[in-house]
Amino acid sequence: MNFSVVVSQFWPLLINGLALGFIYVLISLGYTMVYGVLRLINFANSEIFMVGTFATVIVSRNFFGFNQNTDPLHGFKLIYTLGACLVASMLMSGVTAVLVEIVAYRRLRAKGTNRLASLISAIGVSIILQEGVRILTNSIPYSNPRLLKKVYVVHAGPIELRNDTILVIVFAAILFFLVDRFVSKTLLGKAIRAVSMSEETSKLMGINLNRVISATFLIGGMMTGAAAFLYETVYENTKYNVGFSIGLAAFTAAVLGGIGNLRGAFYGGLALGLLEEFAAAILGTQWKAVTVFLVLVLVLLFKPNGLFGEAVQQTRV
Amino acid sequence: MINLRDFGAEKWEKWNRPKRTTFVVILLALVTLLPFAGDYSFSNFLNTPISSYQAVLVYPVGMFVLMALGLNIVVGKSGLLDLGYVAFFAIGAYTAAILGTKTHLNIWEILPIGMGLAMISGVLLGLPTLRLRGDYLAIVTLGFGEIVRIVAVNNRSTGGPNGIANVPNPPSILGVRFALDNMQGFFWIILVMILLVIWMVRRLSVRRPGRAWEAIRQDEDVAMLMGVPTLRYKIWAFSIGAAIGGAAGVIFASKSMYVAPDMFSFNVSVLILSCVVFGGMGNIWGVILGGTILAYLPERIRFISNARQLVFGLALVIIMNVRPDGLLPRKKREKIHKAGEATTNV
Amino acid sequence: MNKNTTRVLGVVAVSVLAIGTLAVSSAQGAVKSVTLVYQGPLTGTDAQTGQDELLGAKTAVQMYNDSNPAVKVNLITADDQGDGSVAGTVAPGVAANKSVVGVVGPAYSGASIASFPSYKATRLTMVSPSATRVTLTDPKSADNGFPFFHRVVGNDALQGPAVVRWSTAGIDSPKVYVIDDQTPYGTGLAQAATAYIKLKKINEVGSDSVVQKTSDYTATVAKIKASKANVVIYTGYYPDGGALAKSLNDSGWAGVFAGGDGVLNDAFIGVAGKAAAEGAKFTAPAVPFETAATDAQQAAFTKATGLKSAAGHVYVTETFNATNVFLSCIKLGKVTRAGIQNCVATGTFFALDGKTVLRFTRFGEVVGGAPVGGFQVVKGVIKYFGAV
Repeated sequence: MNFSVVVSQFWPLLINGLALGFIYVLISLGYTMVYGVLRLINFANSEIFMVGTFATVIVSRNFFGFNQNTDPLHGFKLIYTLGACLVASMLMSGVTAVLVEIVAYRRLRAKGTNRLASLISAIGVSIILQEGVRILTNSIPYSNPRLLKKVYVVHAGPIELRNDTILVIVFAAILFFLVDRFVSKTLLGKAIRAVSMSEETSKLMGINLNRVISATFLIGGMMTGAAAFLYETVYENTKYNVGFSIGLAAFTAAVLGGIGNLRGAFYGGLALGLLEEFAAAILGTQWKAVTVFLVLVLVLLFKPNGLFGEAVQQTRV
Repeated sequence: MINLRDFGAEKWEKWNRPKRTTFVVILLALVTLLPFAGDYSFSNFLNTPISSYQAVLVYPVGMFVLMALGLNIVVGKSGLLDLGYVAFFAIGAYTAAILGTKTHLNIWEILPIGMGLAMISGVLLGLPTLRLRGDYLAIVTLGFGEIVRIVAVNNRSTGGPNGIANVPNPPSILGVRFALDNMQGFFWIILVMILLVIWMVRRLSVRRPGRAWEAIRQDEDVAMLMGVPTLRYKIWAFSIGAAIGGAAGVIFASKSMYVAPDMFSFNVSVLILSCVVFGGMGNIWGVILGGTILAYLPERIRFISNARQLVFGLALVIIMNVRPDGLLPRKKREKIHKAGEATTNV
Repeated sequence: MNKNTTRVLGVVAVSVLAIGTLAVSSAQGAVKSVTLVYQGPLTGTDAQTGQDELLGAKTAVQMYNDSNPAVKVNLITADDQGDGSVAGTVAPGVAANKSVVGVVGPAYSGASIASFPSYKATRLTMVSPSATRVTLTDPKSADNGFPFFHRVVGNDALQGPAVVRWSTAGIDSPKVYVIDDQTPYGTGLAQAATAYIKLKKINEVGSDSVVQKTSDYTATVAKIKASKANVVIYTGYYPDGGALAKSLNDSGWAGVFAGGDGVLNDAFIGVAGKAAAEGAKFTAPAVPFETAATDAQQAAFTKATGLKSAAGHVYVTETFNATNVFLSCIKLGKVTRAGIQNCVATGTFFALDGKTVLRFTRFGEVVGGAPVGGFQVVKGVIKYFGAV
């Protein structure tokens, strides 16, 4: 137990927890949107994240030819490069997510079989992606060159904000807002919501199911890809197994907030980021995961559908 | 699609008692002799490259089949998605390791203790969490599995990340020795345990608990309305599954003579669950087949070394797409067949 | 799916098995050659360590076979996934393979303990490049590998004090923060370091334990800053150590970042970034391959592995040395398990640089405890500063 660190480092912990939380928010969108539509844990989402991190690294290293000796960029060139990396990550993850749906889920969905078959199929795809990348990269970590020079830009008493932290928080918040608006306002978004309420009825209403589901995977994948880009901007490293722990955390965040619910993913992600940060500081990092799960169990005991979840239809295996 | 299960069931139905008995005896004899199959030219295609064939038969093959049968009671019979089954395996293994090295109890005396502890932890986990539905249960059990491992890493009495070495082998029974150079002993004891579990599951399936589990799996709300005490039967399913996992853990610890937290990662839970679904949820013969294949395959294809796990992943995807209900699915009438649900429950 | 698919799958499965059988039998049929096994994690989450070490083993065998020896050496791999439970099935198989005369490995201490019973029963000699747990060679410990286990690396008890001495050198009032990565290697080294810190009455201002593959170290960084530490010792591997060093640097912390042989790697600079890596200190019982290799060794490395440089790969030198111990014995005409065992136990061998002498004690430790060297990143390059 170490409460003194919370006193002296309260603001850095809070800010870093929020930034981490915002990355979780975007990844948990990948879980929660798919769950909302298909009632299915998209186990391959952590690998979709991993693929996205590699997209950023490949673009900045191989396409732009940057390396560890490159000086950080400025002005237009910085925006242009970061933009290219972002687009690459979002596309790569989005396309991978759609492919995962086609390879691992579509046939099974058409057959109308049990959900566990899809779960195992997703685990299979997950193994294929992870081992495939491991073989391609010789199992070594890849680092992303520093594109954005990290400087503290805000100094307000105890509050100090670094530019990459601001980028993560602002950018993730904007993306979340856009997805939220998209799902509630546009026709395709309404179709997604309709399918998540009742697949049968929406089919009768003339909704093209496969298209809507592909779109869901695409959006979820793109958000995961955006998270991968932000992750590379802050942490600047990736490896074939980078997705496992962060994917598990994002999935936990989705459940904490109420899986299948967009706003649940938002609050769940932020709550988890803060919880992890403070638990690691107070109890020691080794007890972080245990604390998270104990809190999760407590929350589920009192709110069986997560913090913000509506009553999920009875699901069974 | 070829339907092996119906084909087998049809044959079985037609046979009379002596025929059935002969079949079972011959099958059992063949399985009992499996550890020696690697030594003869007509059967040595079973040999695994690099790893020892006899050891592979014990772990992973025998262990996975045993645990898959245990998990099948939870997932296949009662429809509860458990992603942390490895926790019970770990509790059994650590019980054997701690008691085996710190006390004079032998493994046979520890076995019931390990099973009991696993069962108790199953009840303790089940009481608050089995009220949760579907996928919420999945994440909580997943968390429990990780907690057990993390506690083992951070605890002095479990040896921390180093684990515990020199767990004793069990003393011999009926002249069968249990030692590293005599792996068939372990194989036979696991075989006996598998047979006991099969017997128990078959008995339970046709009696009240089996019917209650079936009702819970098909529709929990309706089951509750019909007066089935669902929570109680769910906890029963959970703790019976846990006890089997604990038993596997005890034998595992004394077989490998060493336990460490790394052995009980999330991957093991996923693998066991894969065995159940891959073979055919709810059908013990399917689960046995699934466990055998998924445990044996990665060992058999060791010659492709680097891409071994990749091929394993491919096999999972292909087979699940070709046979979504597993290799040997449960009987049709046990499946949920309601037009609407077939799609919402995808 | 229809019958055709099923049939195709069946054919594929059968032919895969058939090819496997061929592969197995051909490995056993060769004459005038002996087999060495590399045992370590080659697939799964710990695959990196094993794949890296394999490069060193391949290089050594390549150089040996290129010298046209009387007895050729086959190198085969035994993937134990770094996991004791897998090692328990792999080791009996390796032990039963009559053509195998020595095991380069096991890579991990846990897998070693799980493998010992099988190798002891079949009198198979092991030389491990990276299993550093103290008990493996401790005569009093019940899980030692006597007399078949040897290792070419200094154990944690030697490296722990060295990393403390080297990291605090030149600092007037060191305030040390120790962080381990929860692996057997990391916790063992951290314990040895902490014991030395207590012994020397150095001020240890805090410790943390951060599981491997964590990407976010901000909470740990906050604690380090709160503790006012000026030396951070990280006992783990370079991918995580680099991430921690980067996070510390980005938060404005200025102090000495130090680590053991798991962190010592050219790729550490890549992971941490130049700014964060500058001034970082490491200790290791062996010089990294990319720094120490002669041109001939470098050429053999490229020929054997197809890679330009060993940078980014850990324990290459150590595995090269371990493999060379066996190769030297085979060169002397020892091709039986008993001959190899005797030769390894009593012979004198040389490390990668051709000068450093490796001899084993009765319990398999390097005589003199493999001198631990100090390294530091100076102007973006890792420099060797001699024994510390």
